[in-house]
Amino acid sequence: MSTATETLGPGAAAAGIRPLPTLLDAVGWEVRKLSAQIRARAVLLLMVIAPPLIVVIVNGQGRPPKDTLFGRYVHDSGYAMPLLILGFASQWVLPMLTAIVAGDIFAAEDHHGTWKTLLTRSASRGQVFWAKAITSIAFAIVAVVLLAASTIGSSVLIVGHQQLTGLGGQLIPSGTAAWLVGLSWATALAPMIGFTCLALLLSIWTRNPAFGIAAPVVIGLTMQLVGTLGGIEALRPLLLTTPFESWHGLLAQERFYGPLTSGLVASAVWSIGCLAAGYLIMRRRDFTGG
Amino acid sequence: MTKSTLRRLLVGAAVLIAAGATATALASTSSSAVTRARLERDLPGTFANLYVQQAKILGRPRITVASLHAKAQCDKGGPKVADHGPGTDWICLMSWDDPNVPLPDGSGKFELNVHSNACYTAGGPSKLIGQLTITDTKGDDVPNPVFEFDGCFDPHGDNTPTGVEFPKLPSTTTPLPGQPATAGTPAVVSLGSGPLRLHDGVVAIPLTCSAGDGGCAGTLRIRPGAATATYVVAAGSTTTLNVPLPRRASRLASARLAFTPVIGRGPSTLVETSITTG
Repeated sequence: MSTATETLGPGAAAAGIRPLPTLLDAVGWEVRKLSAQIRARAVLLLMVIAPPLIVVIVNGQGRPPKDTLFGRYVHDSGYAMPLLILGFASQWVLPMLTAIVAGDIFAAEDHHGTWKTLLTRSASRGQVFWAKAITSIAFAIVAVVLLAASTIGSSVLIVGHQQLTGLGGQLIPSGTAAWLVGLSWATALAPMIGFTCLALLLSIWTRNPAFGIAAPVVIGLTMQLVGTLGGIEALRPLLLTTPFESWHGLLAQERFYGPLTSGLVASAVWSIGCLAAGYLIMRRRDFTGG
Repeated sequence: MTKSTLRRLLVGAAVLIAAGATATALASTSSSAVTRARLERDLPGTFANLYVQQAKILGRPRITVASLHAKAQCDKGGPKVADHGPGTDWICLMSWDDPNVPLPDGSGKFELNVHSNACYTAGGPSKLIGQLTITDTKGDDVPNPVFEFDGCFDPHGDNTPTGVEFPKLPSTTTPLPGQPATAGTPAVVSLGSGPLRLHDGVVAIPLTCSAGDGGCAGTLRIRPGAATATYVVAAGSTTTLNVPLPRRASRLASARLAFTPVIGRGPSTLVETSITTG
């Protein structure tokens, strides 16, 4: 807090040199930095290209992958494949997708030694923090939306839009199935934002991009393991991986929304907790030491 | 950098371990979302929906979910294990009304792998519900929707007992003299359907061992002729036992088999069967 960088902004504005940068400006800088990254572009491109390939390959298999929900129906309905891929992606692909950006976005400044440059650009620490958080969350949402659209679109085009057998054995008409599959993918957004905030916190805390990217994936896998163990199931609602399964209720014969609600609460608690911790660490950090 | 990073990591690890320990302590007093009552409510509905799909494939449109009256009684891991929590050891007995498929034991046995997320995979008895693929009305082989299926139930759903209780009829669970009736669920050996085949003085005896503890093993006497053979069949599998018959018995048209099980159980009375030569 004692650094001179914080007071530079108001002083410059008072001198009438230039208006203070707004949060929007700061977000703009972050988006520009992100879109210049080959890694981020490659991830988004992959989200669009990979699903059709996966759908073609899985659809070509004689034996459907029965060990994941809806795997046994991949040949029967084009709505089964997006749910199979959702179930698989939420195991580690989705946490990794967001960690690639969020786990790096703070630590990269440490890595390149650019904090001092950034914080002397008359933007406050709070603005920089929120700009990076908003950019990361936006990236996570865009990645999920692209992946969902590409997966649902390609499997409906390749396999078809037949009626779907739900998780209660009931037949779901094609139109309803399309809605439910879209909604199921939408439920992944809440835990995805939670993982984004977790990766942001780790990125700020460890100042290490590799740790920021890998740790959320490892934490996600660990939570999943904990969630499958019998005997400690009271932990399940607290885990950030449980909301990834809350879409099951939408596909039951009598839809249930309990896991959706508790999943939203868990995701919100994790997101707010991680953001608050990250913000505090960043406010108190001494960047002058380099 | 390295020293402070290490310290941060150590602090982080300590926080995680402390959080984990607290959470585990909190959780150890908890109950599971996976319960007998919730399974007994969900499984019959899912099964009935899929059974109607199967009936349509087989060209029997008169079967409906309502006409099936499916009911289930579930148990986890035998009488000594509490009936809640995830596991691969859930067994559900299920009954349903289909005039084409009589249930000899009053119910069929389904084996369930139930996960902590309230989803399960159920596999049924192929004698009652058919094999992996079935033949539809056009003569094509299609997947059998009830052979193995997934379901998910509401982890906060109604948990009051359903009261479904089947009479302990299944002939397979009748205890034999000298064997403790409480020992888990022993496997039961039985003779496959159809006549025995006799070829070159060797009789082929198809044997089936039900799923259960330890599989089936013991001796088998064939009368008349007094030929004896030892059988070993893994739990849940089928095998064919080839037994050479004494020459004087090589033209039998029928026989009686006496099982003396050592592991698992078997028919307690003589089993009558016919023999075809060729």
